[in-house]
Amino acid sequence: MVENSPAPLPERAIYGFVLFLGSQFGFMLYLVWAYVPESWLFSLGLTYWPQKYWAVALPVYLLVTLGIGYILLFGINMMSTAPLNSMHTITDNFAKNQQQKKSEEDAIPALRDITISEVNQMFFLADKGICNRN
Amino acid sequence: MEEGMYRAVCGGRIALQRRQYSASCREFSVRCPRLQLRSLSAATCSVWLAAYGLFVLSQNSMVLSAAIFITLIGLIVYLHFVKIDQESLLVIGSLGIQMTSSYASGKENTTFIEMSQVKDVVINEAIYMQKVIYYLCILLQDPQEPHGVSEVVPLFQSSKPRLDCLVEVYRSCQEILEQRKTSDFTRTLN
Repeated sequence: MVENSPAPLPERAIYGFVLFLGSQFGFMLYLVWAYVPESWLFSLGLTYWPQKYWAVALPVYLLVTLGIGYILLFGINMMSTAPLNSMHTITDNFAKNQQQKKSEEDAIPALRDITISEVNQMFFLADKGICNRN
Repeated sequence: MEEGMYRAVCGGRIALQRRQYSASCREFSVRCPRLQLRSLSAATCSVWLAAYGLFVLSQNSMVLSAAIFITLIGLIVYLHFVKIDQESLLVIGSLGIQMTSSYASGKENTTFIEMSQVKDVVINEAIYMQKVIYYLCILLQDPQEPHGVSEVVPLFQSSKPRLDCLVEVYRSCQEILEQRKTSDFTRTLN
């Protein structure tokens, strides 16, 4: 059984070190590919490389994606906000399907979702005494 | 008839007018400030300056006439479709609720909801853009299924009054809706 805790473990240390070595190696490989002229690489026998154009294009793509991602996330947030005329601002399935427990005398009532009409009466009509509380 | 000055959510001043026609009939009108001359001239000047800049760059005089055209059409569209001068709510206890929006060009939009469909008028809070605002809304019910809200109709959408104004309207509406409950009760007893 594996516990879900963020504590440091020997396996995690090994994963971390492998990732560190892998990323350093990948970065060195990228630098070699980008800077070393093609003739030198061909003379070593390494001929099957992607075009050097991509050494500049991929970082640019990544940065533009990052910038658009910020704006996109903000936009998705705003689109998923419920509009003012939606039922989701009033209630949801849990509130509609909750069981009504009988409240005993002298006991704290059970926790439940209160309808918006009751809440409004308590907030805005309470001092005038017009509210009808069941 | 009573009138009070309140503030909208954005900070502008609005006026609330309350009229009581009878014990079960009341009208609430929220008036927004009219289109200011300074904002109109600021918009016009900026559009025309941009058009003049384009004209200097491109030496094409069509840009200037296009700018004039755009300004005129834009103003007419804005006054007719966007700028709401007054929103009013007429509550007739036994009949229903009527909402009217009057635009700056004189156009009026009216919606009527009959009382059997109205469950309650409440002040709800929701996220709007980057704020949480209070707004008044009518909860509609299906006449065949009275325990359950079928639809939410927000009121005063373009003037967006703040909570103090909404509480006034809410309390008045609740007085009228209370009468409906007692009259229903006496009707079921007979």
